Order: sequence, then C-alpha cells, then structure tokens
Amino acid sequence: MSLSKKKTFKIEPFKHKVEIDPRYAERTWSILEDAIHEIYNHNASGLSFEELYRNAYNMVLHKYGDKLYAGLVKTMTQHLKDMAKSVEGSQGGLFLEELNRYWGEHNKALQMIRDILMYMDRTYVPNYNKTPVHELGLNLWRDNVVRAPKIKSRLLDTLLELVHSERTGEVINRGLMRNVTKMLMDLGPTVYHEDFEKPFLTAASGFYRLESQEFIEFCDCGDYLKKAEKRLNEEIERVSHYLDSKSEAKITTVVEKEMIAAHMNRLVEMENSGLVSMLTDDRYEDLGRMYSLFKRVSTGLVLVRDVMTAHLRDTGKQLVTDPERLKDPVEFVQRLLDEKDKYDKIITSSFYNDKTFQNALNSSFEYFINLNARSPEFISLFVDDKLRKGLKGVSEEDAESILDKVMMLFRYLQEKDVFEKYYKQHLAKRLLSGKSVSDDAERSLIVKLKTECGYQFTSKLESMFLDMKTSKDTMQGFNSLLASSDNSDSPTLSVQVLTTGSWPTQSGASCNLPTEILTICDKFKTYYLSTHTGRRLTWQTNMGTADLKATFSKGQRHELNVSTYQMCILLLFNSLDRMTYKEIELATDVPTLDLKRSLQSLACVKGKNVLRKEPMSKDISEDDVFVFNDKFSSKFYKVKISTVAAQKESEPEKQETRQKVEEDRKPQIEAAIVRIMKSRRFLDHNNIVSEVTKQLQARFLPNPSVIKKRIESLIEREFLERDKVDRKLYRYLA
Amino acid sequence: MRKEDTITLVSAEGFEFVIDRKAAVVSNTLKSMLSSSGGFKETEVGEVKLPEISTPVLEKVCEFFYWSLQFSNGIETEFDIEPEMTPDLIMAANFLHT
Repeated sequence: MSLSKKKTFKIEPFKHKVEIDPRYAERTWSILEDAIHEIYNHNASGLSFEELYRNAYNMVLHKYGDKLYAGLVKTMTQHLKDMAKSVEGSQGGLFLEELNRYWGEHNKALQMIRDILMYMDRTYVPNYNKTPVHELGLNLWRDNVVRAPKIKSRLLDTLLELVHSERTGEVINRGLMRNVTKMLMDLGPTVYHEDFEKPFLTAASGFYRLESQEFIEFCDCGDYLKKAEKRLNEEIERVSHYLDSKSEAKITTVVEKEMIAAHMNRLVEMENSGLVSMLTDDRYEDLGRMYSLFKRVSTGLVLVRDVMTAHLRDTGKQLVTDPERLKDPVEFVQRLLDEKDKYDKIITSSFYNDKTFQNALNSSFEYFINLNARSPEFISLFVDDKLRKGLKGVSEEDAESILDKVMMLFRYLQEKDVFEKYYKQHLAKRLLSGKSVSDDAERSLIVKLKTECGYQFTSKLESMFLDMKTSKDTMQGFNSLLASSDNSDSPTLSVQVLTTGSWPTQSGASCNLPTEILTICDKFKTYYLSTHTGRRLTWQTNMGTADLKATFSKGQRHELNVSTYQMCILLLFNSLDRMTYKEIELATDVPTLDLKRSLQSLACVKGKNVLRKEPMSKDISEDDVFVFNDKFSSKFYKVKISTVAAQKESEPEKQETRQKVEEDRKPQIEAAIVRIMKSRRFLDHNNIVSEVTKQLQARFLPNPSVIKKRIESLIEREFLERDKVDRKLYRYLA
Repeated sequence: MRKEDTITLVSAEGFEFVIDRKAAVVSNTLKSMLSSSGGFKETEVGEVKLPEISTPVLEKVCEFFYWSLQFSNGIETEFDIEPEMTPDLIMAANFLHT
C-alpha cells in the first residue's frame, strides 16, 4: 500500500533532487499528521512504518524540516492538552491513576513517533539546534500536563497527602507512587527537585518537628531513640520503594535534624533514662542505638563522649577520694579494675570500639587515678595481695589476665617511680618470708614491667631474684659443710645474702643476738667470706624470722614463728621468768619502735600471748613487766606471731617514703638537664623545663620549681652558666 | 523458507529479497523499524516495502549487509561498487541509516 507519487527520477549528477510539487509538502505532512493522531488513539497497527519514515525523510530532504517540526509540536501539544483536560476532570483518588495512565500512553506514542521521525532527529535537529524528539515530547508533557495550573498543585498535594498518610500508618499504593515519581524524574532532575522534592522535604521536616516534640514529652530516652530509629528506617525504606535514591541522603538529614539534633542535649541529660543512667545500668542495646543515631549528626558523638567523660571522671573521683574505700587498698584497686572492665565492655559492645571513646576513657582514668597520691602504693599492695594468696588455685591464663589488667592501671599512673619504690618494698618482704604464691607469676609481672618501662626499672628487681637464688646455692654449700662437722645441737640457720644496692634500704639497725645464734652466724660469715673475698656482710636483724620450739606448763609443745627481735626477747625468758621493759631493752638493744611493736604482738594479741603483760593494757609503756605465759594454749601446733605482711603505711612511714622518692628524683632531673644541655649547647629556661618534663614523664611528672632549683644547683657546680646578656638563657659548660 | 528470523525486503519493482534478521539490522532504520514497540505492520508481517529503492540498488544493499557482518567477524574482503550506482547507493544508505 504505497501512497507516494510515482515520480520519474531524473538523476542529475552532483545536484540534490529538486522538489517537484509545492503541495507535496502539504500532502506529506497531512499523512504524517494523521498518523500521529492514529498513534495517540491507539490505532497504530494499521500503519506502515516504512511509509511514514519515508515521508518524514522526504520532507526533511526537501527542506521542509521546519514544517515537519512545527507541525509535530502543534499536534502533540493539542493531544496533550486533551489529556490534561481529562486528567483534571477525574475525581479524587483516580487523579493519580489517570495521570499515570496517560503518562504511559504518551510515552509509548512518543517512542513510536521518535522512531518514525528518526531521520529528522538525526539530521535536521542538530543542524538547527532544536530539541530532539524524545526530549521535546517530555518537555511538552511537562509544560502542558504536569505544570498545567490546575494539575500542578493538585498533583503535589495528592502526593504529599499520600506520604503523610503512610507516615501515620496507612497503606498506600506504592507502585502508583513509584510511577508518578519516576515520571517526575524522567522529566528532568529540576522538575523532580523543584516540583516535588523540595515541598516533600519541607513537609517532612514539619511533620517530624511536631512528632519529635510530642514524643519527647512522653517518652524516656530509650523509647524515644527506638522511635527515632524506626522513623529513620521507615524513611529509608520509603525512598527505596518509590522515591529517587538521591533523596535518601536529603530526607535522612531532615529526620536526623528534627528528631535527633534538635533534642540531643535534652535526650542525653534526661533524668533516669539519659546517657548517665544508661552507663550505670549497662544498657548496651540502648547505648548502641544512641551511638549509631548520634553518629549521623555532626556533633552528636562529641556530646555523648563529653557527657560520658564527665560522668566517668566524677565517679572515678568519688571512688578515689572516698575515705571508706581508702581503708582497704585491695578493694580500692579491685573497684578501679571493675570500673575499667565495665567501660571496656560498654565501648566494645555498644560503641563499636570507637577509638575516640577509648581515648576518652583512658584520659579520664589517668585523670582520677592520679588524683589520689596513694594510688601507686595501693596498686602495689593489690599486686602484693594477689601474689601472696589471690592467685592461688587460679589458672595460668586467668592469672595472666589479672596481671595484664593491673599493668593497664599502672600505665595510667603519673608517678611510676613511687610505684617502683613500694613494689620493691613489698617484693622484698614477699621474697624474704617466702610468701609468694607463684614464682612464675612474679617473673611474668617483672617482664611486663620491663616491656613497659625499660630495663632500668626492673634491673634491681631482677637482681633481688638473683640474690635469692644465689643464697639458696650458698646455703646448700654451707649446710653440707656443717653436716661434715658435728654440730647437732646448734640451731639450723638459713641465710639470704642480699646485695645492698638492689634491696630497699632500711635503717640497718642491729641488736644483740643471743649467744647460740651468734656462734652459728659467725660460722656462716667465715664460710661466705672464704668463698667471696672483698665483701662485707651486715646482719639485717629487722628482716629476719625464727621458728622456736616452746614447751609450756602443761607440757604442750608449740612451734612459734616469730621475728628476729621477738626471738631475742623470748630467748631471754629461757633464763628468767619475769623481766621489765627496761631490762629487755637493755639486754636486746632493739630499737624502741620495733621493740614496742614486737612486745605488743607477743603480749597483747589474744590467742597469741606467749607473754603476759602487767598491767594488761593494750599499749606498751616503759614501766611494764613481762612474764612468761605458762598457760598459753592454742589449737594449732604451729603459731605464727610475727607480723611481717605488707600493710599500708602509717602516716610517718608514708612521709618517709615520699621524701625518699623526692630525693631520688633530684639526680634524675639533674641527669636529664645535663643530657639536654649537652646536645643543645644553649637553651632558654622554658624550653629546658618542657624538654625535661618530656624526658621524665615516663617515670614521673617533675615539678617546674624543682627543676629550677636543680638548674641553680648545676650552675653552682659549674655545669651550666647563665648567659650574660639574656638572663633566661643557659649555656652548657664542658 | 519464511522462518522467524528472516526479513523480506521488497524493491520498487516488486522484487523480494529474503535476508536474515541479523543482516537486516545492520541498517539502523530497519533495526528500529523491526523492534519498534508500536503495532506497525512491518513488525508483524516481517516484510518491509521500499518503493524508492530500485532492484539493483536493493540487491547491492543486501550484499552490503552480509559483507558488513563478515567484516565484523574478522574476514576482511573488498566490497566492489560500480561508479554508476554510487549516487543511488548513497541515497539508499542515507535513507536506511547504514
């Protein structure tokens, strides 16, 4: 069925075909116009593509492209106007459906038209800078239908209404929504953005503002967060179902802003359900939710972190300064460890191991642990307790983990040298009384300290261990020597030889040892000095213990474990039954404080009073008389009387230790100053102070005024000099 | 053999050339014609009438389709065109967007 005229082609080389019939264009156009009508009326099946294509081709070829294009615009516009009228006329709920239907039809028609007019699209359109057919069709649709005055606002209102009703819980036709929004998107990003997205976002923000205000009045923090999370997920789901994915970020920002950011402070500070109570009650799920929601808002996490830090510092401070707690150092440290465990668990399970929170935790702990000046001492006591009895029966891994946790607390200490001092003292007592539960645990802790603080920190501690071992070997040698000579009735002696520099220095007091002891002690001394020349031995009577076998009036025998001083005192009663305080003092030559203490534990402690005191008061005074207690009885055969266990120090002892520490620090500061000046040659005062602090901070925090004093002292000793021009500048003197 | 994957091209004089669909879609015009979603006659019947293309030209066009397929498969041969046919061939090519 060919309607084209049968023209005879005159091929004139190098010339285009000239049009023959002026009305040819009109005719061709009317064919096409009819065809377009048919297409819009769904009667396309009767048409021949090729014919229409050829017609369009010819029109363009014969320079009637303008006519074709203009005609196309006119026809399409007319059809679209008809469609628009029909859509406007539709009632209520059908509005969207009608719109959708016509959109589908238009698209189909447009495609067909584009195919037919492809030649025009290819040649005429680019040459004359016209919009291609497809785009033209969309634009016409947009202008005539979507932006038609009656339709535009109605469309927007309907869409927003539907979204609102879905938010309040109704079910809407999502497929329809999807098609409509897709239509808007196809019409161009600006259309979608201007005509729909912007009002959508405004409506959403209004909706959520109201809702959040309502919620926050009635819900507690946990519930509110749950609701916020739910709404957020809802919106994300909504976007995925029928909105442009680019809207997701925008709508989530709106929700976050209205529901979270606006109420952040209030939520966190809510009484009984805010962040603080969540932390105290270990509400991991709530905390996790709060974390992930607040993460979306820019300052959210900062707020959470700050409140947590403040709370942690508060509780920590309370813990550390609570007088009750301070009475029991082991309990004190245990509480600190528990607190750390608690927060570690919170951070791992709810805060996704966020490093910034971990840092906040560390800094808070550092802050309040160092608030209490006795923290180093207490931590050492805790370790001591564990190594004496706490780790008994505990598996190796558990023991390791406890020690690791203690190391963690150790890291927070600023005054690590104080800790070292106490640890040395406690270790000495442990080693000498043989009270350590596990040698392996001791050694492993030393290794940990070495890794943390370097060799210097632990060198003395290690030499203490070495001394113990060497002493064992020496004793073996001594005992074999004794066995060869006949000394059956002399007391058995066990000696530990301690290197003076490594062990904590105690005021080396001596006392009068009883004769039986003296002989064997001298024997040992000769033996030792025979193998090690050039050394000097001093008996440390304040650190020894003795086991005495005692017989009482009823013939009971008991073995008494006492300190050396107590042994001296008791052996006096071998010859006399009664002695006054003064007599004892004279005979034994024990220092007053120790003597009083020893007598106290011998006479005043119930169940262990080997001596009776007259008068029966608790304190020892100079006029007291002591009598051997015949009627002493005890359930056990072995009675332990000496009190050599590590205790927290009394006030004067504490002062003494602290003073020693300060003394030790002076040379360290000086060494640091000299080191720095040697490399820098000259430096001003502030810089010296900061460098020294930096170098020493692994051990302790030096006081600037102390540093100043040390500098002065170095100047006096001519290590440094002041610059003549600038008083603040110091120079190193070689 | 009129099977599903052949197309018939009919020239101005009424000659019918049966070619594979694969060859036909070398021409973009034919391609969109045949895959158009509208209910055009061509798609249903599988026949395209080309009343402005004469038979010898149409024959050459079909040859070209097959040659093009061959070329894209890697076999490079030559395609001869007689000079007299050139303008007609160009017009046909323009029309068919090949």
